[in-house]
Amino acid sequence: MFPWVHEFRPELGHLIFTGGFAMVFVIVMTTIVIVFKKVYEIYKQRAVEKIAWQAAFEDFPTFNKRCRYEISGLFNERTCNNYFDCRECAVNKQLLEKGIPEKALAAAGDDGNTEIFGLNIPLDRMYHRGHTWVKQDEDGNYLVGLDDFGKRLIGKPENIELPEIGSKLHANGTAWKVKRGKADTRILSPIDGEVIETGDPEKGWYLKIKSEPDNVDTSHLLKHGKEIKAWFMKELERLQFALATDGVGASLADGGVLIDDLPKSNPDADWDGVYGEIFLEP
Amino acid sequence: MDKQLQVRGTTRMEFRKFITYLIPWFIVLGIGLYAMYLVFRYGLNHTNMDNRFAFGLWIYFDLAIIALGAGAFFTGLLLYVFKREEFKSVINSAVIIGFICYSGAIAALVVDVGQPLRAWFTLYRPNAHSMLAEVTFCLTLYLAVLAVEYVPIVLKNRKLKQIPSFLVFEFKLHKFMPILAGIGALLSFFHQGSLGGMFGVLNGQPFSFRETVLVFPSTFFLFILSAIAAGPSFIMLTTWLVSKISGKKLVTKNVFMSLGKISGILLLVYVLFKSIDSLYWLNKTSPAVGFTVADHYGYAPFGIWILLLEVIVLGLIPALILINKKFREKMHWLLTGAFLACAGIALNRFVTTIQTLSLPTLPFADFLTYSPTWEEVAIFLMVIAYGVIVYSFSFRYLPLFPQERELNSK
Repeated sequence: MFPWVHEFRPELGHLIFTGGFAMVFVIVMTTIVIVFKKVYEIYKQRAVEKIAWQAAFEDFPTFNKRCRYEISGLFNERTCNNYFDCRECAVNKQLLEKGIPEKALAAAGDDGNTEIFGLNIPLDRMYHRGHTWVKQDEDGNYLVGLDDFGKRLIGKPENIELPEIGSKLHANGTAWKVKRGKADTRILSPIDGEVIETGDPEKGWYLKIKSEPDNVDTSHLLKHGKEIKAWFMKELERLQFALATDGVGASLADGGVLIDDLPKSNPDADWDGVYGEIFLEP
Repeated sequence: MDKQLQVRGTTRMEFRKFITYLIPWFIVLGIGLYAMYLVFRYGLNHTNMDNRFAFGLWIYFDLAIIALGAGAFFTGLLLYVFKREEFKSVINSAVIIGFICYSGAIAALVVDVGQPLRAWFTLYRPNAHSMLAEVTFCLTLYLAVLAVEYVPIVLKNRKLKQIPSFLVFEFKLHKFMPILAGIGALLSFFHQGSLGGMFGVLNGQPFSFRETVLVFPSTFFLFILSAIAAGPSFIMLTTWLVSKISGKKLVTKNVFMSLGKISGILLLVYVLFKSIDSLYWLNKTSPAVGFTVADHYGYAPFGIWILLLEVIVLGLIPALILINKKFREKMHWLLTGAFLACAGIALNRFVTTIQTLSLPTLPFADFLTYSPTWEEVAIFLMVIAYGVIVYSFSFRYLPLFPQERELNSK
C-alpha cells in the first residue's frame, strides 16, 4: 500500500486502493476548504445578513413558505423558492411586466375598509411578511414600523434594541430586536438602506431609512389592498396554529378580535415559539 | 437559559428531570471508563479473550452497531442522491445515530487493540493482505465524514446560530451534503463489505469461509445487503422509541412506511441471496474441505435452529411483513417487522463472530466457550450509555425532527 510498508509492490491494485482513499480524503478536505472560502467571500461581500436569512428560511415548514400570489388567490398553489425576496423572483418580474398584480389585486382590494378582525391595516403603506410596514415620509425618506398584528403580539416589550444611526440595513436582515418576558425575537427589515433616525412605539414607527429612490426596490413588499388583507387573514390562521401547538396552554377561538396585548392576557403560552413562527425566526 | 438553548416551539422535559434521567447513564458510563482504565493499565488479560478466541463481545458489538448504523449513510443516499425528500424528516436523527454507532464502535476497538497508542499503526503501516486494513481506512474516513455531517446540525442550535458566521458556515456546508452523502455511501459499502469479507476469507474456519464472487467472498456482498436492509429499520425503531419516551409525534406515518418498505424489499433480496449462499456453502464449499452440516451445527447451543431462526424467523418473516402494504399500515406490525429485521442482522453478526470461533476446526480441537468478563460487559454498556447521552442532548438542544412542531399542534 505505502512504500514504507512491508511487501509493498507498486502494482496497479495497490495504487488503486491507496489512490481511492487518498482521493476520498482530498475530496472531504477540499469540500471543507471550499466552504471556508465561501464563508470568507460572504463576509467580504457583506452578505452575512442575506445568507443568515436564507438559512432561516430553509428551516421553515413548507406551509410557511406560501407565495404571496397564492395567498392573494392569483395562483392556486405556489411555494416560494426565493426566500420571500420577490425582487429576485423571475415569476414576479413577469407578472409585474404584464401588470397582472396591478389589475387583479389593486382594483379589487381597495374597498376603503382598513380593519380586519379588529386589526388596523392602513393601506397607505407597504407591508413586509415579517410584520413590518414601510411608508414614504414627507421628506422622502422611509419610515419603518411594526404592523398592528405584530404590535398586539408583542404588547409592551421590556426591551427594544434598535440599530445605531448610520447602520446599514438589508431587506430580510435584522432591523431591531425585542424582548418580552422569556421570549425574544428579531424583527426583519423590510428594505435596504441606512438608518438616519430611530423612533419608538409611541411615535408609531421605529426607524427612518434614508431615501435612495434609485436603489430602493419595493417589489417584494405587499402593497395592494386585496393581497394585504388576504395575507393578514392567513397570518391569523398561522397565529391560531402557533398558539395551538403542543406546550401552549390556550388556543385562539374562531371569530372575535385580537386584544391589544396578547402575552399579558395569556402569560403561560409559549410566546417564544409563537414569535419564532410569526416573525419568521425558526 | 436551558429553554433558550432548545429549538423554538418545542417542549422538552424539565431540566431537573432530564438530569435525573441521565444520572443512571452517567453511572454506567463511569463504570465503563473505570473498566477501560483497567484494560489500558493492566492489559487484555482483564478480558476472557485469548489467542484462540480473539474476537469477543466487543467485536460482535462493533459489527452489530456498524450494521445498524448503516441507516445513516443509506438515508443520506436516499435523500441527497436519490432525492427521496420524505427522509428529510429523519436525516438529522439518522446522522447522529450513525455518528454514535461509528464513534462507539471505534471507542470499543481502541480498547480492543490493547495498545491504543499504537492504533495509528493500522493507518501508517497497514497490512496490505488484511481486509481489516480496508476496514480501518473506511471507518476512520467515514467517521470523519459523519463528524462533518454532524457539524451543521450542532450549528443549528438556537444559540449557536445567532452567531452569524456559524449560521453562514452551516448553510454553505449543507449545500455540499450530496457530495458527503455520496462519499459516505461509497466508504460504507466497502467497510460493511470488508467486515463480512474478513470472515469469508478465513479458509481455516470452514464455518465462515465462502467461495469468491468477483474477487470478494460472498459474505462481502451479504454484509452490505444486510446492513442496508436493517439500517432503515433501525432508524424507524429509534425514531419510534424517542417518540414514545418524549411523548411527541416526530415524523409522519408515511415516513415510517417508506422506511419499512425499503427495508422489507432489501431484506427479501438479502434473504434470497443468504439462502442461496447457505445452501451452496452447506452442499459444496464445506463438504469440499471435509465438513458436514453436523460439524457446523452439531454443538449445543448452536444447532441448526440458529440458521433457521436467522433466515426464516428474523429474515423472511420480517421481510414479508414489511413489504406487505396492509401490514405496513398498522404501526404494531411495522415495528414488529423492523425489530425482527434488526434482531436478525444482530444475530447474523453474532453467529459470524462467536459461532465461527467456537467451532472446532481440527480433529483434536474442542468446542470453545467464551463468556465476557465484567470489564468487557461494562465497556459494551458504556458505549450504549455514551450513545444515549449524546442522543439525549442532541434531541434536547438540536433540531432533529423538523416536522415535530407541526405534528404536535392540537
